[in-house]
Amino acid sequence: MKRVIPVLVLSVAGLIPVWRYEPSIGTTTSTTTTTEAVSTPTPTATSSSSSGSSSTPSASSKKVVQGTAINTSKGTVQVQVTFEGDKISSVSMLQQPDHPQTTAAVPVLIEETLKAQSSKIDTVSGATITSDAYVQSLQAAIDAKGA
Amino acid sequence: MRRVEHVMGFPVSLRVDDEGIGDEVADALFAWLREVDARFSPFRPDSEVCRYDRGELRLRDLSADLTEVLDLCEQYRVATGGAFDVRLPGRPLDPCAVVKGWSVQRAAELLTAAGARRFILNAGGDVVVAGGPWRVGVRHPEYADQLCTVLELTDGAVATSARYERGDHIVDGRTGTPATGLLSVSVVAASLTEADATATAAFAMGPEGVDWAAARPGCEVFAVDAERRVRRTPGFPAATVAA
Repeated sequence: MKRVIPVLVLSVAGLIPVWRYEPSIGTTTSTTTTTEAVSTPTPTATSSSSSGSSSTPSASSKKVVQGTAINTSKGTVQVQVTFEGDKISSVSMLQQPDHPQTTAAVPVLIEETLKAQSSKIDTVSGATITSDAYVQSLQAAIDAKGA
Repeated sequence: MRRVEHVMGFPVSLRVDDEGIGDEVADALFAWLREVDARFSPFRPDSEVCRYDRGELRLRDLSADLTEVLDLCEQYRVATGGAFDVRLPGRPLDPCAVVKGWSVQRAAELLTAAGARRFILNAGGDVVVAGGPWRVGVRHPEYADQLCTVLELTDGAVATSARYERGDHIVDGRTGTPATGLLSVSVVAASLTEADATATAAFAMGPEGVDWAAARPGCEVFAVDAERRVRRTPGFPAATVAA
């Protein structure tokens, strides 16, 4: 839980520019804020007109806004917020600290059933310590074949 | 050029495909391994390891090589919470688990320094390859003439720790009892020093050692537990095309 709290705080911090940005648009769509707001082309009936230059987002279109990158002691945090109309539809992390405390250190292991196979191979891994075991081993067969 | 010799207590198979790499290179390689055996064997009373263990040598008197080996042993002991321990109570100092990988990796570096670019060095089932792709089979934990997986390795190392053949020979230093939670652990890494020590340490830890090894940077893992379940890392370089 200790990790969750700073992440939430930072997410909120990342949202601050978004909140600041909203009033600047006012109630009408603006064409001067494209450096922050990226309209996602959606094939809706209203935007499919052949008049071109449909970069002006309609009030109901999706809008993706990137928060500013914030440097923390653990690394850089940056969130991305997707708006649908004036509602937030998703929040994702564009950058998150690559730090052992906040990233999963263990990869997700794949589980399989144990199989027995024979195959053309160049060498064998797996202890062949005693000379008796070596004589009977696949590695001995490989060595004998190549000698 | 191919050569098989029994040294350090196990068969060592060498295959070098480069033209111009002759017997003198193989001679130097096997001489190095015999030197390692003489200096670091816990079974030779006059070895540096035994003399240090008996207190005849002090830490500052040790060779740079043995100091390096003991440092590696200590790193793995700490990293495994004591499961990997070369100083078990009531037993002589036995750094074999690190000495093997470390010395065979050095041997492979002798080959590279001599100009070899395409070779397989297999020391008792622990393997260093260069200039592949090579197909490396992993011995099945229960059937000696079968494989449980085949991996494709171009340059690098793979080591397997398992219960077969020598039985329960790896001790969990935390409990002092033989490790029995796994049947077999194979670790692929850039060097055999890392692959071999990590495989042995993971085996000593048991099932949790699989996750521990998987989290080590640069290591890929393929493990069979006592219930015959396979767990492997997504990046384990399993060969895709059967030959």
